[in-house]
Amino acid sequence: MIQLKNLERYYKSGFQKSWVLKGINLDVKQGEFITIMGDSGAGKSTLLQIIGMLDAANKGEYNFFDEEVHRFNEKKRTELYKHYIGFVFQAYHLIDDLTVYENIETPLIYRGIKSKERKPLVAELLDRFNIVAKKDLFPDQLSGGQQQLVGLARAIIGKPKLLLADEPTGNLHTKQGEEIMKLFKELHAEGMTIIQVTHSEKNAEYGDRIIYLEDGYVREDKNVNELLEKN
Amino acid sequence: MFRHHIKIGYRNLLKNKTYSAIKIGGFSIGIAAFLLITLFVKEELSYDQFYSQQDRIYRVLNVSTNPDFQVNEWPSFSAPIANLLNTDYPEIETAGRLIVRDWFLAGENQFRKSTENQNNYEEGFAYVDPSLLDIFEIKMIYGTREESLSKPFTMVISKKVADKYFPNQNPVGETIILNDNSEEPYTIGGVMQNLPSNTHLEFDFLLTFVGVEFWDGEQTDWCCQNYEPYLRVKPGTNIQQLEEKLLAIKEDYLLKELIDTENAFAEVVKNHRSFRLQPIENIHLQSGVIGDNFKHGDLRVVQLFGAIAIFILLLACINFINLFTAKSANRAKEVGIRKVAGSFKGELVRQFLTESILYSGISIALGTTLAYLSLPFFNQLAGKNIHIPMDTYWFFPSLVLLTLVIGLLAGMYPSFYLSKFQPIDVLKGNISKGIKNSRLRSSMVVFQFTTSIVLVVSALVVYNQMQFILKSKVGFDKENLVLLHGASTLGDKTKAFKEELGRLPMIEDVTNSSSFPVDGTLRNNNQFWINGQQKIDKGVSAQAWRVAGNYHSSMKMNLLKGRFFAEETNRDSFATIINQTMAEKLGLENPIGEQIWNGGAWDIIGVVEDFHFENMKREIRPLVFFKTRGNSAIIAARIQSEDFSKTMASITGVWNKFMPNQPIRYSLLDESYAEMYAETERTGNVFAACAFLAILIACLGLFGLSTFMAEQRTKEIGVRKILGASSSNLFQLLTYDYLKLVFISMIIGAPIAWYLMKKWLQYFEYRIDIVWWFFIVAGVLVAGIALLTVSRQALKLTFSNPVDSLRNE
Repeated sequence: MIQLKNLERYYKSGFQKSWVLKGINLDVKQGEFITIMGDSGAGKSTLLQIIGMLDAANKGEYNFFDEEVHRFNEKKRTELYKHYIGFVFQAYHLIDDLTVYENIETPLIYRGIKSKERKPLVAELLDRFNIVAKKDLFPDQLSGGQQQLVGLARAIIGKPKLLLADEPTGNLHTKQGEEIMKLFKELHAEGMTIIQVTHSEKNAEYGDRIIYLEDGYVREDKNVNELLEKN
Repeated sequence: MFRHHIKIGYRNLLKNKTYSAIKIGGFSIGIAAFLLITLFVKEELSYDQFYSQQDRIYRVLNVSTNPDFQVNEWPSFSAPIANLLNTDYPEIETAGRLIVRDWFLAGENQFRKSTENQNNYEEGFAYVDPSLLDIFEIKMIYGTREESLSKPFTMVISKKVADKYFPNQNPVGETIILNDNSEEPYTIGGVMQNLPSNTHLEFDFLLTFVGVEFWDGEQTDWCCQNYEPYLRVKPGTNIQQLEEKLLAIKEDYLLKELIDTENAFAEVVKNHRSFRLQPIENIHLQSGVIGDNFKHGDLRVVQLFGAIAIFILLLACINFINLFTAKSANRAKEVGIRKVAGSFKGELVRQFLTESILYSGISIALGTTLAYLSLPFFNQLAGKNIHIPMDTYWFFPSLVLLTLVIGLLAGMYPSFYLSKFQPIDVLKGNISKGIKNSRLRSSMVVFQFTTSIVLVVSALVVYNQMQFILKSKVGFDKENLVLLHGASTLGDKTKAFKEELGRLPMIEDVTNSSSFPVDGTLRNNNQFWINGQQKIDKGVSAQAWRVAGNYHSSMKMNLLKGRFFAEETNRDSFATIINQTMAEKLGLENPIGEQIWNGGAWDIIGVVEDFHFENMKREIRPLVFFKTRGNSAIIAARIQSEDFSKTMASITGVWNKFMPNQPIRYSLLDESYAEMYAETERTGNVFAACAFLAILIACLGLFGLSTFMAEQRTKEIGVRKILGASSSNLFQLLTYDYLKLVFISMIIGAPIAWYLMKKWLQYFEYRIDIVWWFFIVAGVLVAGIALLTVSRQALKLTFSNPVDSLRNE
């Protein structure tokens, strides 16, 4: 599904280049649940953003379902991720001026889906996440966990092939975090490819593969079971 | 999608109430001003645009390139002109003559039905050829265009007059007596619809020329120019060719008359005279230098107003743009998320444009209401009678169009600016709160304040010029002088009336003349020569006024040489007093004892100091006084200033004793004098009003900006305080930037204002200098207001507790 070859991301300051990512090679198969781990500044978020096509690498190849993303311009990338990728953020990033219902339906609007067809799709997710009663509230009227549920619902409403999550439970307390992770597991079980960035070993256990980044390199790329056994 | 955009816009509007109020408030004020000024401009441009034969109606003008004449174009011709145009020029379908100025019965009269004794003063009498009813496409209510004026002593009255004197009846055939002259009664031949407000023509009574001859042989004489011809050409006529053909009038008639009388003026006419056909729709706005008797608009004023309207609208748009972009950090997150959710840039641009159109829609609704409410004030200001054309098919569609145009204009930049944000920057939190495109924002603020300063300086200059006009030495005493109009009907009783009036204790002096140094009194231009030179040089064109013997002393004019007229009626019948300019033009260093010639010789007995008898826009012209033979249109009384109403009551008592059937009609000379500059005063008022609006709009924007900046700098100020900054340090820090902008605006605005006002002042022959303190006053005023505007936020921030602003970090 995703192939990264010799991917590099650096920032220039004067004549100096400082690398955030260097020589990244990665193969993601459809249906995998991958966790990216590493210390602060290791390049986790940057890698996720490049995979999510919000950012572009300076060097190297990025193939997504045999499309050569590294050759795409911004507009074509938008077109691609609009159809295949959903995002979940640590800070939820809901639109403050939209209700829960409207936040969830936004991606559908941008895909040109008619209001009549949007309704059942949104209703289904509200139901599934148990937030039907909250549908007319605004984000600032919700708890963090509820906001993240909305964020997740919004990410998956377009039935993306790939779900990217950047510290999805980072702002939540344990119980709320667990709830979100369980939903991730469910989605994974249904066949969705998921890549998450997290500091939490516990959250990593929900996935089936862990990638350790260190100073922009891939230090380790292991099966979850292998790693757990090792520890 | 569209509904979605509207919804978001609406919620944003409610969320940031202060900013929304500033945006909408500024916008509404700007739009109200724009609407009113546009309606004014539209009204001015609509003059005489409603004829079915629009492009075929013309007025004939004399054109003189003789540099000695002040007026280079004028509309008057001799009596035979209409016949000539109708018979000799096949291109001309029909032509007719008009007289509207005070001339025999044209102008103003005492009017009564033959069945009543009470006279009523009426204005708006004109002599016309019957063909003018056709050329001006006058709409008849009773009678026909062909028949109504076809018999001698017939008149057509307007519906307004008919309703006043003959309510609910057809007045055709009724008999009218003018000025108590029952020997020559007039018969009403027809009633016409009232003339619309947007025509240069102004009359309510049309008197026929049929059967009129003002003196023996007058109708065939080419001597005097009293008639203003209008004509309608046949379709497809080449106007330029026709103008050239008209030169035959000069050769065949004008020159012939002059050569026959051996008049040296013939040479001037031969070399310098030509004719021009002026399209009827140009008469209102493009007759600035044409000496006719209509009230005119001024194309330059219309253009100036138009420019001001657009500037005020721009100022309002700038507020919107500035606040929208300043607050953009708050929207940046939304842009980022929407992009991640799959929105294209174009979609976001559309969203923000919809939002700005929503704002402009609300503002236009409010602005229109505001315009409606301030209409009476505006009409007074502009001296117009404009109404908001709610009932026309185009008004509301143009509002919708305006909404779109303004919405796009104001929303364009913010939309593209906002939709450019990259999600990755936003989501990482890289966008600093105060997005710093401050250079653009600053230049827009500078633009606003430059406009304000230009308008303030302009208002100051116009106001000072007006004060200069009203206070400058005019060469006579214009205070405490009451003019009694319509005095010619006193006839032989004039002398007795004057004497009785003069016996009243509060009356200092009584004199009479038809000509006074204010508009609306008789003017009479003639050609004069030093006696004996009439066949040698071209002479001097001068005003000739007939005045009572004590006129100069009553008016308190200054005698430079010789003496005033003797007061006894039978003396000085062939004497004349001239003004300084006349003496100069004649080239006489010592004029006393010399003679001037104008169909007869006159002894110069005195020279008066030049005084302003026309608008100060014009140079003082040559003037010649003769002694009047008897009665005249105006009797002037100089009164003692205290208790005006009691004085007027006494004067009215005397008047009613002499003229029981004619109500007294009076004016005050100083008021009429000020009236001559009403246009100037209006220009000043408009500048002042626009300056006020511009400053108001600019300050609204500045208030919004400073509020926003204060939000941004809360933390910085907290840190500075902890580091030991004093309150005054901080206040300076927070206001310095704005004052700098005002200062820059002053540097840019001053030369612009100087240039514009220099040009405006050139319309006045007598004018003030533009002095440095105008700019200082304008600068200090604008800077002061700006400082007041921003200081609220600055003070609030300066005296806030630093702990509060730093705690949440």
